[in-house]
Amino acid sequence: MSDDAEDAPIGFRYAEQYTPPPPQRVSDVAITTHEHVFEVDPRLMERWVLQQEFPNWDSLRIMNSRGDHLAWMHRHFAATVVTGSELLAEVDAEDGDA
Amino acid sequence: MTIAVERLDEVVTALRSVLRDEQILTSKPDRYNRARVPAPFPVHRWAERLPDLAVLPTSTEEVAAVVRIANDLRVPVVPRDGGTGLTDGAVPLRGGIVVDVKRMNQVKELDLDNRTVTVGTGISMLKLNEQLAKHGLFYPDDPASYPCSLVGGRIGTSGWSLIGSRYGHTRDLVLSFDHVLPTGEVMHVGDGIGHKVSKSSSGYQLKQLFMGHQGTLGIATEATLKLFPKPEAELSPFWAFDNYDDAYACVGALARAGVATFAGAVLFDEWKVAYLRRDDEAYIPQPSDVRALVCAVMYGYEDEVRPAGRRLFRIAKEHGARYLGDEISEGDWAARHDRYATPMHGRTKAGQVVPMSWHCEDAAINYTHLPSVTKAWHEIVAELRRRTDVFDDWGMFAYTSGNTGVDYLTEIDVGIWEQQLDDRAWEMWVKAKRDIAAVALAHHGSISACHGSCREGEVDLVPDELGRGFDVMLEVKRALDPNNIMNPGKYLLDRAYESGARP
Repeated sequence: MSDDAEDAPIGFRYAEQYTPPPPQRVSDVAITTHEHVFEVDPRLMERWVLQQEFPNWDSLRIMNSRGDHLAWMHRHFAATVVTGSELLAEVDAEDGDA
Repeated sequence: MTIAVERLDEVVTALRSVLRDEQILTSKPDRYNRARVPAPFPVHRWAERLPDLAVLPTSTEEVAAVVRIANDLRVPVVPRDGGTGLTDGAVPLRGGIVVDVKRMNQVKELDLDNRTVTVGTGISMLKLNEQLAKHGLFYPDDPASYPCSLVGGRIGTSGWSLIGSRYGHTRDLVLSFDHVLPTGEVMHVGDGIGHKVSKSSSGYQLKQLFMGHQGTLGIATEATLKLFPKPEAELSPFWAFDNYDDAYACVGALARAGVATFAGAVLFDEWKVAYLRRDDEAYIPQPSDVRALVCAVMYGYEDEVRPAGRRLFRIAKEHGARYLGDEISEGDWAARHDRYATPMHGRTKAGQVVPMSWHCEDAAINYTHLPSVTKAWHEIVAELRRRTDVFDDWGMFAYTSGNTGVDYLTEIDVGIWEQQLDDRAWEMWVKAKRDIAAVALAHHGSISACHGSCREGEVDLVPDELGRGFDVMLEVKRALDPNNIMNPGKYLLDRAYESGARP
């Protein structure tokens, strides 16, 4: 364990966990908080479905779990994934676009 | 319910002679949980679609014994596998006994030399492939419901696979199966009498008849499946377009390219992109000039997929495509099954989020008719939405069914606010379904490529689609199910028993 980890506060800090990064607007109907975490604009969730509050650790857990799920699905169907950007670069190089 | 209480006792007593008590389920939760499927459901009339009881057989012999009892007592039987179908095949319309096959989920034989596996039909493809992977093998039946649908349901619905352009669909992948007829007799169905034969010219080709009947002709209990090497490599590029027409031209060119590892290509229209922009993390940040999408999928050895992939990238480039990047391409393909697991929400016309369930109407449409069908279907759903916030247009996609680009599974996704459904809204929905099916037929298509066509609305047009063939359906039904006990009320097959019906 690193020194930084040893110095980190232990336990659940309510205020810290319920203070996500400041929202950034990414479209007219969506905002983003943590990196790669998008949320519906809270103004659109005031009548029929109310937005839930998640502690930061849970938002990040859900996001990372989704990454795990997608990686599992790739492995389940094939041993490797061919990267499209490599093929595109090869096609562009053949065309002299690179 | 269709069984009076005193008759229910009689049925349970008879079933106890062939099943253990714990295989006979009569509680309310056991029955409610086996009443519906993911397709929108008239929840305000749920109680009209309940079975009287459910059974959990563990063998072909037990299924046959249950069906014989049902036939003797004239009690409806509804086969149920994963319950993931979209045309209500597993929904009881007349009460009766739900035969839930989930306990018949064993791998019975793995034949490495002939590349086949024989399984109980209650196994899911996901669980089967986990076992096959240890041998480097793969059963490539890949519906959107892949994690939760079962082999038996795929047979009963004659399922459509997302990678069917490469490997074929369920009808191509199932070599043979044991089948319990509505009278309780057991029959083996395959090419000829073969268990592991992929092509026979002996006798009528009965295998197709006993697939896709939506549980109206009996219950598949054990199946022998064709296996492939587990793919070494996967490629799934997604491309963006600033207009539908270029995307349409591109998907056609990709499908017609004749690339051997080609497993499918998909065209997403403007409405689908607009829907994705609301909530999908991949599309929220996309620039506004992204109006349509195309995806292509390939599986095979890496030294096959790479050069073939370059060919498809070149075709896409020639059609003005913009590659959406590795993260979106790989992630969106890996997420292809998630509609079955993700809570959905739609929007009111005022933009407020409401809880909705996902539904989709599909058809088999030739490539040349895709644009006009797309336009007509959106107009039908737009009319629904003009009248009520219960419905929301979630866009359309068209997905190659084969490897030559001749026809596409064409689908419009519709969000439905089930909590607000009432008889008026349900009637509007049923009419829309009928209109959607009529558009498919007017364009020389088939009412369904994938889901089946036995729900309210579309089923009204099945006789129009099949013509004399529908009369043959009635004759087959009456010959095999003389007492109409097997999933009654589906596919207008009750007409087989009306006086004056053709014998």
